[in-house]
Order: sequence, then structure tokens, then C-alpha cells
Amino acid sequence: MAQALAHVLAHRASAHDLDLVALAMTGDRGAFGELVRRHASGVRALLRRMGADPATADDIAQDAFLTAYEEIAEFRGEGAFSAWVRRIAARLYLRRWRKEARQALALQEDAELGETSTGTPGPDIRLDLDEALKTLTPSERMCVSLCYGAGLSHAEAALALNTPLGTVKSHVKRGLDRLRARMVAQTADADEERTSHG
Amino acid sequence: MVERSFEAELESLFARAPPFADADLFTARVTGRLDRGWAWRRLIIGTLGLAGGLIGGLEMLRAGVFVRFDAFGLAGKLVLEDMSRLPAARGLSELLTSGNTFDGRLLWMSGTMALLAAGLLVTRGLREF
Repeated sequence: MAQALAHVLAHRASAHDLDLVALAMTGDRGAFGELVRRHASGVRALLRRMGADPATADDIAQDAFLTAYEEIAEFRGEGAFSAWVRRIAARLYLRRWRKEARQALALQEDAELGETSTGTPGPDIRLDLDEALKTLTPSERMCVSLCYGAGLSHAEAALALNTPLGTVKSHVKRGLDRLRARMVAQTADADEERTSHG
Repeated sequence: MVERSFEAELESLFARAPPFADADLFTARVTGRLDRGWAWRRLIIGTLGLAGGLIGGLEMLRAGVFVRFDAFGLAGKLVLEDMSRLPAARGLSELLTSGNTFDGRLLWMSGTMALLAAGLLVTRGLREF
């Protein structure tokens, strides 16, 4: 056991996430730093995709990692560490989002935007997710990011957003429809470009 | 089926994070905050421990605890001397009074050690939880 621990300590960069988590639980901040290095981009990207501006996203991502370190004993290793820390980050962002009362504004925007057309996904799915997410309303973006980026179920997202389950489901559905439509358009554009260059 | 593959693709797109040019700087900021947080915590625990120890010591002096301990030690000595007159208890009292160490100072030291041990326990507990 001690030998295994010494091996992990010596090879932090190649160690498995769970080994690094075990070391972090003993107070090894170096091991936790390696976890930050590995998963920071994912957390920062998720927060930006949820609608946070870059500075806010980075602030919250830092807070999320600090919270993760404080609560590392609660990580049971049942899922990936990256998914766990993303959930923490998503919840922290939601807290700030609610505090800033953006939700009311978002709902207003939703009402103004109304329904959009849907499409069918092509077999070769290529999508610039960040660009596509910009076409969603803040609420749709939030719900889709929570469910597909942070891995929350619809019910968990509803609880986190303090919104009825039905509303979350409809935001997710409309968001998926918009993304799908955008994706089809992007695929068509890419095909057209390939044909014109070919 | 098509819906599932789209959702799976979406999850995989979310899982793919774009590279950040300042990734190393971000990691350094987080670990820096982590180190600073622990340095502060250690400093606060140490300061509180020192202040607690000083206040406790002063309070004990002011309340005349050491004098009382001395008196208690003297009383114990008298009791043991009485006990030593009983044949059955002679062995035990001889053991306790051997080297003439069972006086007030022994009680002081024991009390201080117990206090120190309790302080260490609390400090350790605070660090762990």
C-alpha cells in the first residue's frame, strides 16, 4: 500500500484520477493541482457554455475547485471526478445566476423569441457547440448545459433551478430542437463548401 | 434512435473542452489560492491556540488554581500517610510516595500535560474537520 502510494506520488502526471483523489484526501495539494490541470478546461468551458462571461466563468471555476478540495471526502468515486467537479461548478454558477435575477430576464426573452423550426440530424454530426449554443435563449442554454454538460437529470436540473420539471423539459426540448436545426445548417454549409472546393 | 444518437453526440461535444491558452496560469491561481487558504488556516489555528493557552494560563493564575492544587497535593499526601499505617494499603502508598514525588508539583505537571494534550487534540480536530 505504501509502495503504491509512493509510486503514485512519483508519477502524479500519469496517475489515475482516483489515485490523485485519494492523495488529495490525505491533504496532498500537489495531487489536487494535477486534477485541476487535467479538468480545468472542461469546467471553464461548461460555465461559458452555460452563459457565463469568461471572467465570471473563471472565477466560478476557481471556486468550484476550491469547494471540491474542501469537500473531497464526499467524493465516493462512483462517477468520474470531472463530472463531480462540473456539477459543483454548475451549482455555484446557478447560485450566482439566481442572485443576479437573470432568470426573470431570461423568461422574458423566452417569451419574445417564441418557437423555432426543427430539423433532423444528419449522419455526419459536426457542430461548433459554442456557436450553436449562442442561438439558444438563456434558459434553454442553461437547461441543455445542465443536462448534457453537467450531467444532471431533468429532475435535478429542475430542483437546482427551482423551476417546475415540465418547464425544464420544455426548455431542453426546444434547446435540442434549435441545436439540431443549427447543426443541420452547419452540416449543409460544410458540404456546400466541400463541393465548391472540390 | 436518431434522437438518442444526437443526445449522445451532444454529450460528447460538451465533454470535449477547447484548449485554453492560459490553462497553466489558471492551475497556478487555483493552487495558489489553495496554499494561501491553508496558510491562513494554520495561522488562525495557531493564533487562537496561543491566545487560548495564554488566557487559560492567566485565568488559572488569577483563580489561584496552583495554590489549590498544592493544598490538594498536601491533603493527598496526608491521606496517603494515614493509609500507610494500614497494613493492606502499605504497598500501594509506598509506591505512590516513593522518591517523595507525590506532591503539588506532580499534580501541576499532570494538569498542564493534560491541558496541552487537549489543546493538541482540538487543534488536530480543527485541521482535519
